[in-house]
Amino acid sequence: MDKRHLWKIGGEAGFGIMTTGQMFSKIATRHGYQIFEYFEYPSLIRGGHNTVEIIVSSDPVSSTKSIIDILVCLNNQTYQFHKHRLSKNSLVVYDSSDFNIDEGDILKIDLPFKRFLKEEGAPLVMMNNIAMGASLALMGWDLKILNQMITNQFQKKGEDIVKKNEKMAQLGFDFITTKYNDKILTLPETVIKEPQLVLTGNDAFALGSIIADCRLYSAYPMTPSSTVLTTLADYAEKVGMVVRHAEDEISVINTALGAAFAGCRAAVGTSGGGFALMVESVSLAGIAEIPIVIFLSQRPGPATGLPTWTEQGDLLFAIHSGHGEFPKIVLAPGDVDEMYECTTQAFDLADIYQTPVIILSDKLLSESHKSIMMGKFKLFAQNYKKRRGKIINHSAEKKYLRYKITDDGISTMLIPGFEGVYYQANSYEHVEDGHTTENAQDRTAQVKKRNNKTATYLRNDFKMPKIYGDINKASVVFVSWGSNKGAILAAMETLNNRAILSACLHFTHVFPLDSERIKTLFSNNKRYILVENNSHGQFGKLLRQETGINIKEKILKFDGRPIWPEEIIEYVNLK
Amino acid sequence: MSILNDFNGYNPTWCPGCGDWGIGVAIKSALAQLNFTPSKVMVVFGIGCSGNMNDFLNAYAIHALHGRAIPMAIGMKIAKSKMPVLCIVGDGDCYGEGGNHFLHVCRGNHDITVIVHDNGVYGLTTGQVAPTAQKGFKSKSTPNGILEVPINPLSLAITQGATFVAQSFAGDTPKTVALIKEGISHKGFSVVNILQPCVTFNKVNTYEYYRQKIYTLPDTYDTSNREAAIAKSIEPEKEKFPIGILYKIERATFTDQIGSISQDKSLLEKDRFVNYDILLEDFL
Repeated sequence: MDKRHLWKIGGEAGFGIMTTGQMFSKIATRHGYQIFEYFEYPSLIRGGHNTVEIIVSSDPVSSTKSIIDILVCLNNQTYQFHKHRLSKNSLVVYDSSDFNIDEGDILKIDLPFKRFLKEEGAPLVMMNNIAMGASLALMGWDLKILNQMITNQFQKKGEDIVKKNEKMAQLGFDFITTKYNDKILTLPETVIKEPQLVLTGNDAFALGSIIADCRLYSAYPMTPSSTVLTTLADYAEKVGMVVRHAEDEISVINTALGAAFAGCRAAVGTSGGGFALMVESVSLAGIAEIPIVIFLSQRPGPATGLPTWTEQGDLLFAIHSGHGEFPKIVLAPGDVDEMYECTTQAFDLADIYQTPVIILSDKLLSESHKSIMMGKFKLFAQNYKKRRGKIINHSAEKKYLRYKITDDGISTMLIPGFEGVYYQANSYEHVEDGHTTENAQDRTAQVKKRNNKTATYLRNDFKMPKIYGDINKASVVFVSWGSNKGAILAAMETLNNRAILSACLHFTHVFPLDSERIKTLFSNNKRYILVENNSHGQFGKLLRQETGINIKEKILKFDGRPIWPEEIIEYVNLK
Repeated sequence: MSILNDFNGYNPTWCPGCGDWGIGVAIKSALAQLNFTPSKVMVVFGIGCSGNMNDFLNAYAIHALHGRAIPMAIGMKIAKSKMPVLCIVGDGDCYGEGGNHFLHVCRGNHDITVIVHDNGVYGLTTGQVAPTAQKGFKSKSTPNGILEVPINPLSLAITQGATFVAQSFAGDTPKTVALIKEGISHKGFSVVNILQPCVTFNKVNTYEYYRQKIYTLPDTYDTSNREAAIAKSIEPEKEKFPIGILYKIERATFTDQIGSISQDKSLLEKDRFVNYDILLEDFL
């Protein structure tokens, strides 16, 4: 029996496709299944075509797959756009009074959406409830949880609206159970009895920043980072955070740097274009040694690019961001669990090294929902302890030296306000007490001091890539970073079933790299395949630059879509 | 009691006769007279001759980026709302490079004081024209005279929501001290635009020029009348420069309106939030 079922719904933008998907995800997880959701939408509010696909699995899952098991078409486009992803066992739900679908080797479910709406005098936006009712029936579930959700969502609008929405769901549900009873799926048993959370990468960053005691979040809306801004704005008063939607990204980062100078943990969030505006201030954070966490959720560029699609095109930009030479740390979580872990770590690293820390996400990770274990999350949150390094709130030194030369490159950072002391932070090169200098010796000493932070980081906090699979036995080793992890793990499972033993080196701590330790993971008798969602193979270049390792085989995808497990499998088999 | 000398950092490197000397003394005097110590104020400097004061003034300070002092000051004030925050900037810095921030800090009524050294030129880069220069001003970057009309910071501030707008003259230290003190004491956003002769690169707007063109607003002037303030603010178009508080009203400050910041505890001092469970219901 197939352990994974892919449900997909599509329809006109503005008809609640995303909300429908979220409800489906939560209902699946409450039944004990694990989910991964992927959402596609054009950069407009009405009139385009939106889709959500959700993979429902009894095992951990963090990518979708190409064959759709249940396709719910709220219009003809949904069918036309996805017919190449159907197999003879795929169920296609559509309304023949609206459009006809080609004769094909699929299982058709002709659901009279339009007639139900007309009979009940219901508006077009309620179509998704009929679809939900039918979908839940096909999954073999009931309407209990959905009806609770409908009540929660619509009770403010009155009893009638709640009843009507429930009725539409019931009609869809009953239609399947009476007419298509034989098409109801048999899902595998699930072993998960504990509660799960359904989070996007952006949710995980937002929650991670709350756990890490971030006190100021500043941002300017930009897809796909915007939901961090809206989520944190929603929680701000509850958690005691200030969220500032500033006039532009330059103001955004300088606001955060001001708060950080004054002692608060602070973060900003943006995508590539907004980050481009911030980079002069990234450099300021470097020389003035101010902690800051930058959440950079990538989308395909250059310039405005494909605003609502996905790519990993900003890795080298992030690493090289800011003029001049200064230390910087870049982390790229591979999934939702790693996102909240990396986020809390990023705040610690920013404080410890008093330098910018960038978290790289992308549309795929930022906006895709994934189920995670609530217990694990709670335990992590409870056990998290802030590490602020050498940030202090009082000083006994007679002459306080903000930029004192130290072996590890890190000086104490005194939070302003302590009586009897004061200092200048400085964007100019400076002497130990912060005053401006152009002296050659002082300059050299401060550059070396800042550079030393990198060695300290590599010694104390750098994390080696996680190794998935048995790298000693594997004949194929995938090398990748960030959100490709899910597709690679799914591909590895299929390959292993076909007796092709594979492993994956997955980097979350992508910069700086510890070249000596990384070199030991590469040998001459294996196939190494670089997997990246960009056209330049940016991590491959970085790896070569830092370690001399040159990976010749590359799976690169840059059409705005995530890498599919099937594409990886196909590449491995063809070569 | 603190004294002016407490605020003395390194010896200034400004040109002899530069208006910045007077502004520097005025800022230190104002801080001392308000009984602050260098440990009790935060200051952000822009980049330019004015920003070089970072080395000459003792405080918890940062010499920031050109044009970006204001948003940094906003962040500091949000974090430590009980400490006064000053921005010491130039006209090119604040009205040119950082013009967008100036509009929005006025709207937000952020409780910071912006002290602008308005000399009509970029001194530190050897005398190119600034956005405050009068039309036709000849400089290295505008050899045939600047084509644009000057920006009007006073009317801009008043119309964009600033709650304290004043103008002073660097050659009148006592008046400048008084206006800076008023600005710092004002609860809400305050800007003090200081007409400052650049003796090296601006041969038009000299001490003599300003002494002839400035006048002090009379005691009878109503600082709460917005229309009158706007009328006064556009007088520089006719080379008449009012000195004093043009406009002053009360309005809730940015931090006063934020639920996460209370009167007794600043954002930095607040207890840490640990009740994560209440957030998780949304994700079940």
